[in-house]
Amino acid sequence: MNVTSWMKVVAAACLLLLTASPAWAQKIKIAVAAPLTGPAASYGENIKSGVETQVEEINAAGGINGVKVEIAYFDELCDPKEAATVAPSIVRDKDIVGVVGHVCSSAHLAALPTYVRSGMPVISPTATNVTISDQNADRNGLVWSFRNVYLDDYQGYFLAHYAKEILGLERIAVFYENNDYGIGLKDAFVNEAKNIGLNVVGEEGYVKGATDFTPQLTKLRGGNPDGLFISGYYNEGALIAAQAENLGMNVPKFGADGLDNVDYINLGGAAANNTYMTVPFLAAAAPEQAQGFIQKFEDKYQRDLDWMSANAYDAAGMFAAAVAAVGADRAKIRDYLAAIDSPEKAYVGITGPTYFNAKGDPEKNAFVKMVKDGAFSAAPKQMQ
Amino acid sequence: MLEQQLINGLTLGLIYALIAVGYTMVYGVIQLINFAHGEIYMLGAFFCVTFITAVGLPFYVAICMAMICCSLCGILLDIIAYRPLRKAPRLAALITAIGMSIFLQNLALIIWGSRSKPFPQMAVPGYLKEKALVMGDISLTWLQLFIFAVAISMMFGLFLIINKTRIGTAMRALSQNKTAAALMGINVNFVISFTFALGSAMGAVAGILVSVYYNTLYPTMGYTAGVKAFAAAVLGGIGSVPGAMVGGIVLGVAEALGAGYVSSLYRDGVAYAVMIAVIIFRPSGILGRSVIDKA
Repeated sequence: MNVTSWMKVVAAACLLLLTASPAWAQKIKIAVAAPLTGPAASYGENIKSGVETQVEEINAAGGINGVKVEIAYFDELCDPKEAATVAPSIVRDKDIVGVVGHVCSSAHLAALPTYVRSGMPVISPTATNVTISDQNADRNGLVWSFRNVYLDDYQGYFLAHYAKEILGLERIAVFYENNDYGIGLKDAFVNEAKNIGLNVVGEEGYVKGATDFTPQLTKLRGGNPDGLFISGYYNEGALIAAQAENLGMNVPKFGADGLDNVDYINLGGAAANNTYMTVPFLAAAAPEQAQGFIQKFEDKYQRDLDWMSANAYDAAGMFAAAVAAVGADRAKIRDYLAAIDSPEKAYVGITGPTYFNAKGDPEKNAFVKMVKDGAFSAAPKQMQ
Repeated sequence: MLEQQLINGLTLGLIYALIAVGYTMVYGVIQLINFAHGEIYMLGAFFCVTFITAVGLPFYVAICMAMICCSLCGILLDIIAYRPLRKAPRLAALITAIGMSIFLQNLALIIWGSRSKPFPQMAVPGYLKEKALVMGDISLTWLQLFIFAVAISMMFGLFLIINKTRIGTAMRALSQNKTAAALMGINVNFVISFTFALGSAMGAVAGILVSVYYNTLYPTMGYTAGVKAFAAAVLGGIGSVPGAMVGGIVLGVAEALGAGYVSSLYRDGVAYAVMIAVIIFRPSGILGRSVIDKA
């Protein structure tokens, strides 16, 4: 036997030991990487309560194959620098089987190289940036970072379908804010509208902080639209809705998460009514199996269940299902998650069935809420 | 569509004009670009809303109270920030004006918070919200007519004050030659204070009209409005009151037509391009007189 063969045997033995050892680990830890302090701490709090509830349920039912699950918290302040610092310490802890996080896309992107290099499966419940999909695979093309929240541009795609199929609209006027968010959303909407034969009768832009939209709206009104897509945020969106009504455009309005703020109703007044907007999760419109959980969550935390907590709950649930099926092995957990790639194999959580495409992004419908009689409520028809 | 765009532009332009007269009057009297004027406009809106929500005053009374408060603010602004610098180089006063603008904006941020607030709709008389005219493509609200009426009558009143009263004569005298005016027995500081009060009251009305019309007010609203109104004043000929009115209307209509017919993202660009074009051919503005520099 020559030296190279010897080395191969030793390497193989080491590899065997390494891959096999986590299976005998006495602990199963799920890491939560989120802003637990600082200005974005309320987001971190949402993630924490979602994962906490899931883990408590698992442990109350006897843990995973008899092993209790622990949560390891890592505070990264939604700051890319901090995220890049906590990622290596997460990877070093051999008991950690997966990461629920990060919350902010920028922090997620900063931590991603570490996870990909060291082979750590991650599910982000909230990071919506489109570029994450291109940076989450290792050299062999294996995806390590998944997410169970839709992408920024998905909302545009979804809204085109919702407007046509559920609202029955035919001629859409598009009003967008001139920045990455507004343009990205608008482009996704317009592209999909073309594909499904929905007429876009006009596209007009505005800059952030503008207050007068009447010239653009007058122009859009000329196209005789029966729906107005507002691709921007609530401050300007409310004024657009109000001014559209003043100009006699009493059409349904719709937009994405940027409109989702109570100030939209305060500033828009009566004109805010009849506005539809996408949200990742809506307690009032959640599937049957979620109602028990929602009740429990609201009793425990004394607040309404938000979409971040719901997604975090499901993300932790996916890790638990993975560990129960393949053991506490990071590579096998990754393979398990990557194999959830079709509606038939979907993980059914409280936010609906979740499955991933080849890039680790979910194929999940958005929920729709609307403004009715001066308050938010679930839209009567969801696309589920 | 053209008619509607003209109505849109006229509404906007008359509001610009109301702010612009404040710039131009102060400039006419003490040759100072009062950059804090946009903040007076913002304060007008906030005072009015505060009088309505905290004190419970009716709409029109609150407007008058806000005008009085803003007049006092204008006078205070002059006494605190500009009067000590009357003899200093003009640049010093200009920088102070920018400083006061930043100070007032941040003061408002601390007092009222950074979020946009709606105008209390219950206080606004119901008939203002009704449509006055819906004719084919044209839609006009009573509020827009109210804005036209208020702006035009205020500017007419201002015209009377400047041209038909003693204090107006004193203002005009001051704008021609401060020393000579003082020698004729005019109380220079009083006239300057009066000018600030008058300009600030008009700015306050503009702020209130805007916040009712758009149903929103926020502490940084004075900045863009101030810059636009300044451009309107320069366009019309800084120092000339009728010029400020014409400049405001031209700018507002140019903006609406620019957004409607050129490109919505270039609306400000079109407005400023019109201003630059006018300045190139008439450096003193549409109605400004060319002044031979005394220095």
